[in-house]
Amino acid sequence: MFRVELLQHKGAAPAPGWSYVADRAFNPAQAAMAPTLSRKRGIRDAGKGGDMSSRRANAIIRHLAELDRENQRDVSIPVPVKQAKEAGARGTRAKTTSNVRRILQSQKTFRNHLDDEEAAIHNSSTAGGAGTGAGQNLGATAAMAKGSKAAVAAAAARRSSTPIVAGSAAAGSAAAKRKRASAVGTAASTPTPAPSIPETPATTATDVEGENDSEGKNKILKTEYDNDPLLRSYAPTMPSDRIIQRLLAEPPLSYNASRVGAPISSHSPRHFCCMCGYWGKIRCKSCHLRTCGLDCYKVHEDSRCGAFF
Amino acid sequence: MGTSKARPAAKAQKTSPDLPSRNLPEKTFVLDNGAYTMKAGYAADPSLSPEDVQSACSSIPNTLVKTRDNRIVIGAQLSTQVTDWNEAAFRRPVEKGYIVNWEAEREIWEQSFFEEKATARNKNLRIAAPEDTTLILTEAPNAMPILQRNADEMVMEEWGFGGYARCLGPTLNAWNDLHTLFGDSFAKSDTTIMPMDCLLVVDSGYSHTTVTPVYKGRALQRAIRRLDIGGKHLTNYLKEIVSMRQYNMVDEAYIMNEVKEAVSFVSNNFKADMERTCKANIKRQTENSVVVDYILPDPNAGKKGFMRPHDPLMHAKKKKGASSGLSAELLSEDVLVLGNERFTVPELLFNPGDIGMIQAGIPDMILQSLSVLPPALHAAFLANVLVVGGNASIPGFMERLETELRPIASADCVVRVRRAEDPIYSTWLGGSRLANNRDELSKVAITRQEYQEYGSGWAGRRFAGTI
Repeated sequence: MFRVELLQHKGAAPAPGWSYVADRAFNPAQAAMAPTLSRKRGIRDAGKGGDMSSRRANAIIRHLAELDRENQRDVSIPVPVKQAKEAGARGTRAKTTSNVRRILQSQKTFRNHLDDEEAAIHNSSTAGGAGTGAGQNLGATAAMAKGSKAAVAAAAARRSSTPIVAGSAAAGSAAAKRKRASAVGTAASTPTPAPSIPETPATTATDVEGENDSEGKNKILKTEYDNDPLLRSYAPTMPSDRIIQRLLAEPPLSYNASRVGAPISSHSPRHFCCMCGYWGKIRCKSCHLRTCGLDCYKVHEDSRCGAFF
Repeated sequence: MGTSKARPAAKAQKTSPDLPSRNLPEKTFVLDNGAYTMKAGYAADPSLSPEDVQSACSSIPNTLVKTRDNRIVIGAQLSTQVTDWNEAAFRRPVEKGYIVNWEAEREIWEQSFFEEKATARNKNLRIAAPEDTTLILTEAPNAMPILQRNADEMVMEEWGFGGYARCLGPTLNAWNDLHTLFGDSFAKSDTTIMPMDCLLVVDSGYSHTTVTPVYKGRALQRAIRRLDIGGKHLTNYLKEIVSMRQYNMVDEAYIMNEVKEAVSFVSNNFKADMERTCKANIKRQTENSVVVDYILPDPNAGKKGFMRPHDPLMHAKKKKGASSGLSAELLSEDVLVLGNERFTVPELLFNPGDIGMIQAGIPDMILQSLSVLPPALHAAFLANVLVVGGNASIPGFMERLETELRPIASADCVVRVRRAEDPIYSTWLGGSRLANNRDELSKVAITRQEYQEYGSGWAGRRFAGTI
């Protein structure tokens, strides 16, 4: 497979509407037309199942692209042509500007825009020397998953480090407690000494609420277990206003980066009968689709089974 | 009539250039531009009763439709002009939640809000003088800058609104009065309309499902996550299953959407429900069964589709024909029998892995979103989870979300999941309340003069909050 290496573009801005991206990713739009495997190998390996995992991945992606469609068939629905009289009705407004004309005439689809954006990100990331393969579809999601896992780990690490900070800050002194109570401010669940005491719901509290909260806690916290490190629950301190402002000021993620990652808790995938939707207990030996039992399998074998996905 | 009124207004605008630049027009038009329907109307006075406020908002299909007889019908006219939805094809200017095709979108907006004739009936949708109107337009999170820029340029240059604010749709929900919904007891201050401090908005719409943590009315951008499954995918999936198992419905997107809305539910015990619909068990139980019949609409007889309990003997009776004593009406109807399709389809929102998608379901997505935020904020967001969007109306959705979110969330946190009172209009209602807080609105909105002075690049940076 040939590939296009994108050279660093140093001069003026690239011509609008055109961008080259290294094509290493799987493109669902193309997959429907051209199988990724070479034709010969596809034919040779057909009976053996061949590269099942990648083929199944392709089938899934094609299926998802199918589910994403607006209409089953490609139909062109032109905007009705306006009568001259009606077109004149916009007389109150200024003349159409060049921007508007450009936008209206643009036939770009979402996919085109997304590719442009990926190319731009790719451009800037290679220029910066950081970042890898932002142009890749699956790569990006994989990186996302990795990223989110790293984030989880980081969060966990942060969580484990919090008690030390909170513990040292609290140090059993009432003053620190009051401080924490005020820190609860906007958020945070009330630290409760024992699980038997129902938690007051964490609310987006006003100052009044905050005061009530601290009073209630003073009552609750007067127990002999108060200083037991095992029983104390630690509320992480509220981030300072500066951190919040910093978070709020962050730029939005790119479209691909904001896609959700792989599930954290990985159950084994569920399979369903392709005929009736019940559990897919048996797998067709030639096409690997699942059926629930012999009834469905016979129908499948007689009418639906193709050796290819 | 409207145009002749608009003209002097436009002149007045031009002849008084010494207006202070931060003077936003009084009237505010809120437009929640969804991929399936637009929710639009002038912002209502929040002191009115909820019904009155709600009546200010109308929903308009955001689409061009080509019917079977090759007529092309636009947005607002659909409800009156189309009765036969068989083989209707759609062209939606909003792709994946973002306005992509402005050619079609302009036509729909023109027909819905600007044309005199088309908008004569509903005064609250007519924008007679854009110069004297502030527009609040929603967008989906993580939009591409080029699309945002296109939107800004179209709004300000094609129609020339006097004021304009482009907001993230989910953030507007925070402006609603949600304390009663979440059962917070403390008295709210009625004097000013302020957003919730912390709110986690789950927006499950037509094109996708997003999770947005909103802090005091502003989104925490780094934590916004998106699952690429929305109502469209559910409809298409149901269409595909039904076409495979029963009738060929591949061209009937509209009808299958109605079927989905009528029959689907989110299972709270997937395995048990699956067993109940097992072929072997279907015949035995008629009471309390999951299986239902959906009678397809018959446009020739002018009948709409509807759902009724499954009658296992009906099929046999129909085979016998007239001798079975069934009326001609019953004999002529087309029936879809829906069993496990009813709950395996919405199940995708919670288990995208069922169709091989490597993305997490909604409860997991909420945790993934929170994992990049400071831990102290987790509790506040988990205690205030608000679900909006059309999919929230699927029966069982809320219960499922809460039961799945509770065990995976930290045990210290209270988890409260609530459906907005009206999940579809919630965003619009929030926008309407924002419009009544003039100070806050002027913080996020730009005026026409500012746009003309600084251009669309500046406007984009301003809406992104960098200026």
